[in-house]
Amino acid sequence: MGQETTSLGGIHISPGAVATIAYHATLQSYGVVGLAPKNIADGIVKSITREPSRGVFVRYNGEDIDIEIHIIVEYGTRINSVAESVANTVRYHVEKALGLKVNKIDVHVAGLRVSNTD
Amino acid sequence: MSVNTARVDKLRRRQIDGQSLKRLVEAGLAWLHTNQQIVNSLNVFPVPDGDTGTNMFLTLTSAYNEIKDSGEKHLGKMAGLVAKGALMGARGNSGVILSQLWRGFARGVQDNATLDVETLVKAFAESRDTAYKGVVRPVEGTILTVAKGIAAGTEASLGSAAKRDAIDILEIAVKSADESVKQTPELLPVLKQAGVVDSGGKGLFFILEGMLRHVYGESLDTPLASVQTLSAMNFENAMQEVEEGQDYEVVVDFFPNSGFELQSFYGRLDEMGTSIQVGEGEGMYRMHIHVPLEKRYEPIDYIMGLGTITKVAMENLLAQMDDIQKNTSQQPIKFSAVESGQIAVVVVSPGTGLSRIFASLGVAAVVEGGQTMNPSTQDILGAFEKLPTDKVIILPNNKNIIMAANQAKEVTVKQVAVVPSRTVPQGLAAMLALNPDGEVDSVAEKMTKALGMVKTGEITIATRTVEIDGVNVQEGQVIALLDGKLVASSGSVEDGCLDLLEQANAAEYELITFFYGQDMSHSEANRIADVIREKYSGQEIEVQEGGQPHYHFIISVE
Repeated sequence: MGQETTSLGGIHISPGAVATIAYHATLQSYGVVGLAPKNIADGIVKSITREPSRGVFVRYNGEDIDIEIHIIVEYGTRINSVAESVANTVRYHVEKALGLKVNKIDVHVAGLRVSNTD
Repeated sequence: MSVNTARVDKLRRRQIDGQSLKRLVEAGLAWLHTNQQIVNSLNVFPVPDGDTGTNMFLTLTSAYNEIKDSGEKHLGKMAGLVAKGALMGARGNSGVILSQLWRGFARGVQDNATLDVETLVKAFAESRDTAYKGVVRPVEGTILTVAKGIAAGTEASLGSAAKRDAIDILEIAVKSADESVKQTPELLPVLKQAGVVDSGGKGLFFILEGMLRHVYGESLDTPLASVQTLSAMNFENAMQEVEEGQDYEVVVDFFPNSGFELQSFYGRLDEMGTSIQVGEGEGMYRMHIHVPLEKRYEPIDYIMGLGTITKVAMENLLAQMDDIQKNTSQQPIKFSAVESGQIAVVVVSPGTGLSRIFASLGVAAVVEGGQTMNPSTQDILGAFEKLPTDKVIILPNNKNIIMAANQAKEVTVKQVAVVPSRTVPQGLAAMLALNPDGEVDSVAEKMTKALGMVKTGEITIATRTVEIDGVNVQEGQVIALLDGKLVASSGSVEDGCLDLLEQANAAEYELITFFYGQDMSHSEANRIADVIREKYSGQEIEVQEGGQPHYHFIISVE
């Protein structure tokens, strides 16, 4: 997966490239106000980041692409719907850009941002 | 547009409170519903939750459900309820944004018992601000842009000298929304490529326009100005249902004179009839409408004044509907052919429609019979004796016929099992477990197990006054039976169905099928099914012709 051989040579798409597409698609999804890095040591989410390689994790699993996204959601939106939209949008954009099937997308809601309290 | 000016003047003098807001939301919802398919057709992203019109409609429905029984007079509190309902029911991207818009709107009006111009403008601005806060990288050319356009348009109107009221602001909001929607392809290239405007923005426009149409006293049932291409016009679908009293279908092809105005055209048609469709191709327009008998020439006379008519077609829909029904019920029923060694299933069926359904499930023979006309052992025997197999399973589908079926088993030399189905839905459930190539006993056992998977409801008329199972019944009343037990008596078939489904805990199940009897018309059955659909939105509702006598409905809940 992510690798193709043409008569001119090979094409390899790195997980990082896929992550960048997913990152931008995520940030355009409504209700998402940021991505969160996963602190691998203790799994605690620390802060909002704008670095594309953090918050989005892409794994090639044989023929499949698995994507994991950690998002911060705007307080007051329906979190389920937002997360579902993220999965749909990311799948659409990645599949369109790469022509590769995405096997699964796990969306973790890492936190909420409160900008207004009602 | 046919604006009812007297109504508008009256409304202008009234305070807009919580109850007014409720009616406005209801109108917005109705209008969005009417135009839902138009919004859906604008989707450009083939994503799974992409039916923007449906998502927005479901979200707003949830909002309306939150307030529909509320007597709240305070505008701010009512708006808060709307926002809460929208949040809880938010579906898809567009639904989430819509719920945010309501949340902002509610914040803008929260301290106001009634609506004034400044508050309304402020609320539109809050809507926009709240919506924009929900996303890091707002994409322009979407519903967000439209919310921004509405806020900008209404804010600008405050500066002008003219004295305005809330209805003026709503008019400006609708106009601004319309302009913003038209702008969306310029801002978002993907829309321009697809040749559409943004679907979410259009949905928002319809909600506001519905509110304004309510103020104007205009109809909310007929989609506006949706001109399709001629090839896209499809009248066959329109034939599925004929509204009461709208018996004639009139189709007129014409070339309009210059100055032809679509809005007023629709408005005038709307006064004449229903199921209005207008198509256009190479300058020629085709108008389709359903009108009552006495009005059948009215659309033609009207269009005569608008341009040159090239063709008129008129059809009596009732006659056509009868034909369709006759044709379907007169087609011979085709039973499954059994080969020797296979299991043949013989069922007792009370109606032609039900026989047809059984046949489609692989039944080899049908014996006519039911509650009031129990078939004899001989009848049942006759049905399977001639079949080219020795393996037979009988589904009596009525508790009074089980015995006759068992007797048929005793007198034949064939290998017979009786699966003791007591109702038609049980019989249908059993058919799904049939494996014609298996052994009679084990297959019969599987089918018997399947009987318990389904609940059976029956709706009929009481033939005498009686009290059974704690239910008091007057002669002539509609009664509902659940798995043979009397559970409710009601004044109408519709209420009977609702009572029955409640008793059956239908909300816990997945599929509700209505088999309507020979005393029910197709359209009446559909009407009742629509009522049920509204209440049981989580369940699949199906309507099938059963054709059984006496029972208005046999209902299967599974």
